[in-house]
Amino acid sequence: MVGMSVLRTVAAFTARLNPLKQPYLSTNLLSRAVARSEQVVVRHGSHGKRMFIIKPTDFYDRRFLHLLKYYILLTGIPVAALVTSVNVFIGEAELAEVPEGYEPEHWEYYKHPITRWIARTFYDSPVKDYEKMMALIQIEAEKAEMRQKQLDVRRHMREKGDGPWFQIKTLDKGLIDHSPKSSPDN
Amino acid sequence: MPKDYDKDAYPEPPRQTPLVDKQTALPNPALILSKLFYYSVDLPVTTFRGVIEGIQGDKKSHYYHQAFRRVPELTECQEGDYLCYYEAEMQWRRDYKVDQEIVKVIQERLRACQQREGHSYKQNCGIELQQFNQVSKAFHSRYGDLGAYASSRKCLMKQKERMMEEAQKA
Repeated sequence: MVGMSVLRTVAAFTARLNPLKQPYLSTNLLSRAVARSEQVVVRHGSHGKRMFIIKPTDFYDRRFLHLLKYYILLTGIPVAALVTSVNVFIGEAELAEVPEGYEPEHWEYYKHPITRWIARTFYDSPVKDYEKMMALIQIEAEKAEMRQKQLDVRRHMREKGDGPWFQIKTLDKGLIDHSPKSSPDN
Repeated sequence: MPKDYDKDAYPEPPRQTPLVDKQTALPNPALILSKLFYYSVDLPVTTFRGVIEGIQGDKKSHYYHQAFRRVPELTECQEGDYLCYYEAEMQWRRDYKVDQEIVKVIQERLRACQQREGHSYKQNCGIELQQFNQVSKAFHSRYGDLGAYASSRKCLMKQKERMMEEAQKA
């Protein structure tokens, strides 16, 4: 009890000295109760005092994110719905042995129904692609062969000179007038 | 579920898990966790799959594996026969893919064996290890270092170099 009164006097002394003191009432030093002066707590019927919070604009960021979500979902949702419905209602194909004497169509080598549809509707069969490539190769091979042959023929005809190419037309022999040379003592 | 591969073609080794020899009255946490996993994940997923397959009905479509004919290889082609070159090249590419898958299967077997045996894999996985070494050596000697633009011609030239080295050694 004596200690408590000593503490009280010490607290009163430090409160007087300390410039940062709060306006404690001298009777309420130990409990630190503040006098209810002008800091009245007001109770509103709404969500408290409306504050004008000052912060940098987030209009552009929010607009960007909103438009991003909009344009992604514009085609994203139909595509997702389509793929989900195909997987649920049509389902993937099962692996099976090739039946005897049966040649599967080229789309029947794929598992997923959408892949099968794309292979059936848009793509040529790989056999056809192979044959197309072989046709191109044959055309190019024949072209190369023809060009090589032409070069060989040119070389031959230039060298030997007995072919139809590289013939230089000279004057007709019949037009030469031999009369100055026909008599030796002229 | 789509059917798995033929289990008789690649048989799994007999299970070596020991019999349960419970010596305490305490519950087995592994058992508890496995039951938990089963009831919370496995059972709902399986029933969902069953529901979906019920919706799909029984008219299943099938897909097949393509079987390719063998054509003459690059060594059996006349010089200048570009069509023969093309067919041989395509066949070589298919064989390259098949060989890559073979190596993957052997690797998977070794990995499974190591997982099963734990720390004693060096002793118990002898067959798988020997197979893997053999297969990877063969793959490296045939296809290794050919690069991204590998072709049947380059592979043939590599084979020629190999044969020349062997002839020089002998």
